[in-house]
Amino acid sequence: FRFKDSLAEDLQSADLVISHAGAGSCLETLEKGKPLIVVINDKLMDNHQLELARQLHRDGYVLYCNCSTLVETLQSMDLSTLKPFPPGQPEKFASFLDKVLGFQ
Amino acid sequence: TGGHTTEILRLLSCLSESYSPRHYVLADSDKMSEAKIRSFEQKRAETFSESQFTLDRIPRSREVRQSWISSVVTTLHSILYSLPLTYKRKPDLILCNGPGTCVPVCISAFLLGLLRIKRTIIVYVESICRVETLSLSGKILYYFSDYFIVQWPDLKKKYPKSVYLGRIV
Repeated sequence: FRFKDSLAEDLQSADLVISHAGAGSCLETLEKGKPLIVVINDKLMDNHQLELARQLHRDGYVLYCNCSTLVETLQSMDLSTLKPFPPGQPEKFASFLDKVLGFQ
Repeated sequence: TGGHTTEILRLLSCLSESYSPRHYVLADSDKMSEAKIRSFEQKRAETFSESQFTLDRIPRSREVRQSWISSVVTTLHSILYSLPLTYKRKPDLILCNGPGTCVPVCISAFLLGLLRIKRTIIVYVESICRVETLSLSGKILYYFSDYFIVQWPDLKKKYPKSVYLGRIV
């Protein structure tokens, strides 16, 4: 499994995803509309990785725990509390650039 | 590198063909981005047949968690490569989103601007991972960029000169 080109297929068929806090993993999962539990590794803590996971949790998109509380989280989780994740809007970026460069 | 490449390709996805030709600059050690870029450009060529792009590599400016002082040295080394490259391409616009590779390129463009050789607009988009704090590249380029875009409201508050458009990737 180590370096598969893409996890897209596996993600598509999953009912629940448990992942580390890497941005790519989180976003890819959320965009596929799958429920996600983010596990924070307190030892390997890379603070900047935590920022996104924390924000996604605050906004109600993911569940959040660390290695020792994972089992408890799985037992008591209520996935219906998770909100659907709206996609990003690159078209806003394009409009902004067009305006700034006078490409309208 | 990796996540940065994915993000920047998403940013490019909605741009019109006015943004052409596209010149990609990668770190020499980056193994995965080239394939993603070629794939993106290939798809693009299906819609816009006149689509053009180039791909160049420069030495990587900094390893993750590399010390401050040695980073200055390695960045200066990268600038030795990015300066002639930027001079050759003379871009009207530089778009970057945070990997260390963007710092030497932007500094080169900035220098060419100071020397009145070419005035380039520098647009920096901080990664979506950055919710509360800026990356090191971001902290530097906040002062050198013409437009500095953040994707979370906290950063807009902390860096008032930035532009907030919401999540754009």
